[in-house]
Amino acid sequence: MLDVHGDFRCCDRCTGNATAVRASRRRMLKAAVFTAHDGPPGPEADRAADFPAPGKLPRAITGTVRDVSPHVLVIGNGASETRVALTSDATAWRGAPLEPSGVQPGDQAVVRLHPSQRSVADRIWANIGRVTGVIIERDADSLLVDEGKTKPRQLVTIPGGASGRIQVRFPNLEPGYLIDVIGVRRSDELEARIPATSQPAYPVDQMPTPAMVTGRVPAAISGSVTWHEPVDEPPGLLGVSYPALDPGSGCAEDPVGSVAPQFVRMPYLAVGSVLQVSNDCTGSTCMLSVTGCAAIARLFNDRCVTCGTSPRGRVADLTQASFIALGGELDRGCFNATITIGR
Amino acid sequence: MTLGHAVLEIREAQVPLLAAMLLGGCAAKLTRILRVGSLDAGLGPTALFPLRLRRPVAVATCAVEFACGVALVVTAGGLGRGGAATAVRLATSLLFLVATCALIELRTSHPETGCGCFGEFSRTPVSGRTLARSAFFAAAALATIGLPPLRAPHPGADAARLLGIFAIELAVIAVLSPELGEALTRLGYSEPCELRRLPAVRTLAALRRSSQWRKRAWLITAEVPVDMWRELCWRYVVFPARVGDRATEIIFAVYLRPHRPVIHSALVDSASGEVLPWPVAPAKRRRVFAQLPWAGPEPAGARGLGADAGSGSVSPFASPSVSGAAHRPDRRPGAGGGLIPAGMLSAPSGDYRIPKVKAEPSAPSPLDDLPFSSDL
Repeated sequence: MLDVHGDFRCCDRCTGNATAVRASRRRMLKAAVFTAHDGPPGPEADRAADFPAPGKLPRAITGTVRDVSPHVLVIGNGASETRVALTSDATAWRGAPLEPSGVQPGDQAVVRLHPSQRSVADRIWANIGRVTGVIIERDADSLLVDEGKTKPRQLVTIPGGASGRIQVRFPNLEPGYLIDVIGVRRSDELEARIPATSQPAYPVDQMPTPAMVTGRVPAAISGSVTWHEPVDEPPGLLGVSYPALDPGSGCAEDPVGSVAPQFVRMPYLAVGSVLQVSNDCTGSTCMLSVTGCAAIARLFNDRCVTCGTSPRGRVADLTQASFIALGGELDRGCFNATITIGR
Repeated sequence: MTLGHAVLEIREAQVPLLAAMLLGGCAAKLTRILRVGSLDAGLGPTALFPLRLRRPVAVATCAVEFACGVALVVTAGGLGRGGAATAVRLATSLLFLVATCALIELRTSHPETGCGCFGEFSRTPVSGRTLARSAFFAAAALATIGLPPLRAPHPGADAARLLGIFAIELAVIAVLSPELGEALTRLGYSEPCELRRLPAVRTLAALRRSSQWRKRAWLITAEVPVDMWRELCWRYVVFPARVGDRATEIIFAVYLRPHRPVIHSALVDSASGEVLPWPVAPAKRRRVFAQLPWAGPEPAGARGLGADAGSGSVSPFASPSVSGAAHRPDRRPGAGGGLIPAGMLSAPSGDYRIPKVKAEPSAPSPLDDLPFSSDL
């Protein structure tokens, strides 16, 4: 059996209330320094007005299924309970499509509410999980995956029924290669069901040199946007993990050893920076704060093909709530997006 | 000159061009292998093969290119009369046809992978231009089949025509080559400031040498910043400050360039976030001692600001009188609290390290926290 108890630590990039306070504080201070000065304008800062507006984007609720009937789903989160109506239009997923009433008490559910009907479920993902990282060990039927130093190692099992489908997109299930699979979360492992993307052809220690960028970096960058499972993020957080946090901030979130490679060269930002993220497939747009570092996303040179082929690899890794709010389907893994910095 | 003669000259020009491209591609691949140290890093059509086959496929591709390139040169003249030259040119045509098909497959199954045709330069994903170039080479190779042995052109009009053909064809190849842009980029590369790595310690050193720092340092109450972060071309550094009995913060925005960066600053109320006007500096600015915010009970030296400084009624803008004990330049902030001369802030010691953030801001932000899905 593979040992999942790897050394992982959290740092000031990890999300949580402290980071949320710091992020808003930084926005305020940045706005102050550029509005107070008569010199050349810096990046415009206070974007609070552009954050997602109530009622415009799909809202997601996360919690444990406490009760389910053909017409009502009860989701519990701590002491609170939310009752959600199930209509005939609602769909559900638990490793595969199923009837919404097929969700079972005890399942961890992510429910996307209907944008115009506040307590009506639009889609339910039960026990959905995702592992994105570097394979560090392989057993007969399982893989040990490193998702970066701020996350615990993940054990991934690949059942026989899903093996063929996954190996078409991930032919090299060997240590050193990248993996990104979506599946059903068991107690301490993920049962992989579908590949979330295609495997880059290189092992992480032989990444191609990133292409050089000349001139001014464009404010809008198009690419693939993915989602990640919350580890220590508050449920429902709207935020984005960004693949190029300032290396000078003194917190390395390297995936393996001390190597900090990066395939896509992107402008350096910090926790608290604000991005405008647009879903190129649906047209949904909102402003999101950077809440963490996408340490693994920067290793991928894959493309999202949800609507056409994205022009570059991963430019952002969203929280589940953000991904859903922007019209993403968790079981698809990604959507084509454009992020805009400095607006 | 007849049309037939012109066509023959164009066909003849393909042989040296194809040989040059094959040998150039082989050399670029070998250079990459030497640089990366492995054949396994999938680039180009080798990515289509299982891991165990990549190395032999990469070796075979390189060897075939080299062999075809050399053989084209060797069989171009009298040695290539008859079957040998035809066989080599047929093999070259086949090589480019197979390459074109492989690139089509690569574009479909691995849209992010470069063609690897010219090693490290060919990292751009396979595009229509790459496919067109490969097909163009295949057509050029097919056109060489059946050519008589090549002869050196006569000086004068013949040589000029041949040079013209080379020039036009190289221009076509350049248009079809994404590698050209990459090569030009490498020649005159200047990294944009948004992507430039600049250590925070250099930013701090530049800040402490600046006139902005000299103007504001008398307000600052700590040697280390309480927060520091970077965004695009700017690094932001926040120091605690005190204006009278009001807790404030000074934020510096430092443009990230190695020499003489542009620096902006602002004074902000710690509790409300309100931007405050800069207080008038003392008429004759002297070393002002300030109390560290994390220090214990206020030491006697801090009261040197004035007889009634402790009561809070004195204006900090008045010229302070400094006690002799606190004025000693060797006075350093200690664990139990203490005072630091502001002048010392401008000279970081050689073993200075990027400070850790001391603490969260003293008061919660007046702005909203990050939004949550429940707010939607």
